[in-house]
Amino acid sequence: MSDSQDPREGARRFLPPGILVLVLLPLLLMPLAAIFIFALEGGPSKFVDALRSPDAQFALRFSLLIAFTTALVNCVLGTFAAYVISKYRFPGRQSLGIVVNLPVAIPTVVVGTSLLLLWGPIGLVGRWLAPLGIQPVFTPIGVLMAHVFVTFPYMFGVVKPMLDELEATYEEAAYTMGASRWQTFRHVLLPALRGGLFSGALLTFAHSLGEFGATVMVSGNLRLRTQTAPLYIFAQFEAGNIANANAVAAVLALLSFAIFFVLIRWSGGPGSMRQRKGR
Amino acid sequence: MSSKASALARTLQGALTIAFLAGLALYAAWPWLPIPGRAAPPRTIVVYGFSILGEAMNDAVFPAFAKRWEQQTGERVEFVSSFAGSGTITNQVLLGVPAEVAILSLELDAFRLSDKGIVAEGSWRELPHDGMLNRTPFIILVRDGNPKGIHDFADLARPGIAVVHPDPLTSGGANWAIVAEHGSATRGHPEAPDAGHALLLGIWKNVVAQAASARAARTQFENGFGDALITYEQEVVRDRARGKLKGEIVYPRSTVLSEHPVVVIPSRIPSRDRALVDAFVEFLWSDEAQRLFIENGFRSVDPALEGEHDGFGVIEDPFRIDDLGGWKVAKRDVVEAVWKKRVLPELGR
Repeated sequence: MSDSQDPREGARRFLPPGILVLVLLPLLLMPLAAIFIFALEGGPSKFVDALRSPDAQFALRFSLLIAFTTALVNCVLGTFAAYVISKYRFPGRQSLGIVVNLPVAIPTVVVGTSLLLLWGPIGLVGRWLAPLGIQPVFTPIGVLMAHVFVTFPYMFGVVKPMLDELEATYEEAAYTMGASRWQTFRHVLLPALRGGLFSGALLTFAHSLGEFGATVMVSGNLRLRTQTAPLYIFAQFEAGNIANANAVAAVLALLSFAIFFVLIRWSGGPGSMRQRKGR
Repeated sequence: MSSKASALARTLQGALTIAFLAGLALYAAWPWLPIPGRAAPPRTIVVYGFSILGEAMNDAVFPAFAKRWEQQTGERVEFVSSFAGSGTITNQVLLGVPAEVAILSLELDAFRLSDKGIVAEGSWRELPHDGMLNRTPFIILVRDGNPKGIHDFADLARPGIAVVHPDPLTSGGANWAIVAEHGSATRGHPEAPDAGHALLLGIWKNVVAQAASARAARTQFENGFGDALITYEQEVVRDRARGKLKGEIVYPRSTVLSEHPVVVIPSRIPSRDRALVDAFVEFLWSDEAQRLFIENGFRSVDPALEGEHDGFGVIEDPFRIDDLGGWKVAKRDVVEAVWKKRVLPELGR
């Protein structure tokens, strides 16, 4: 009896996961593996050579710097936005909350275009700045603007629900003791938000590292000046230098894995937001 | 599991995370950290160029000039550059990228810059050789062994041939290719003025892939698209010299020699760098630079170097854009009047 049931039982249990793996294999897992297989095809020395070129080094470093700065800027801006929308009651609060989340819905290429049309030398504001010698787009500043715009909702999205759900008692106690809004934020809210700030920053960092659509519009794609790693990959691939493109792609993929790993450990492991909230 | 051990594991994990992030930050910022004893940052020249020029400039001409400049002045020069379709480059310059020198695939794009007041009309013609940097004819690249028996542009119009062509909207090379195709049918056939239209229609019926630049079209062809690619001879000759050529080169009986203007954009050059940029532009027409272009598959504009064109094929009836009355006329009479206004609508595109 049990002998005849076992295979069917096994099939019932393992078939759906099996199908899922089969679907994911060509869509997700095999392409990712292809990057690494291709990257090592010419031997490790070729891979290292491709990475050591000044252009590749610059692109990686530039991308990392932009990602760090974006994470920092949005740590402050996103938290501020979350705080204002969570703790203050004012007319238009709801719509402001929607506006803040808008970048999730807008295609990144549109973000790039809109930045160009505002800040570019022919843009609505840019045309008045150009004679003064101020030109944000086609410089690292332009790239940073695009990244802050595109990744804005991530920090906000993590911090806002935490602020909403945080029990008001501690906050109220602080106010009763005569603490100012800033003191309350600094000493009561901020420590409770630490885990969220960290995962929000990592999320922002990871998205900034891979941003392409908006960057390609506003950067001018200048090697050694404004070419980020994703732009480098695209430019090298288009020029037929697949080995160069692939080496940097492999590094980006590895970095993303590392960040993702940290993110999972952080939000799932000890000291996660859920546990903190319960404390 | 004691709580002490788990606390230790947590601390260790936190420390590792922080060390990882700090390491990343240090790596990223390294070249910009103010470490004593580091050389002063080099001076820069910003060059935007059309797609196929990339390797010749990055690997040969830029380093050669940097070396010469350092010998002469002791200063280091770094080239900041971007290579893409000529139309793309021109659009970017119009939008305000900080290009100090733009090297375009065709003079038409230079006119677009002067029309918008970025540079003075015809300013590039004051440079040597009317501002034309080098030349290269348009040829056909076919698969190894030429399995479809393609010997001239006319063969590309045969049914069943798949052609890869760059996009005339963004690629200068595509405009050259259209002029080459049209010219090859009309030259020497005054009795059949509409032969150009018939050939273009036939070829464009067979176009299976359009890429934004000649370089990108080449990549598409190498990735297995199509039976034939219409492209600059330079690309193919350069790869053949390096033993990297996949495919065979077919020289049409009659084709155009493309010529590529150098446009200096004074308004985007800081005055302290003007002499440096001028020295670089002058260097472009030196024997040394022109020989580097030949090594990279271009034909030189300098008649004195004509004899060094080994490995280049012979074209029975080459023509230049001036034979058609210049680019403004060719654009109006061929690209616009024939290709855009007739061929495209007839193909329903």
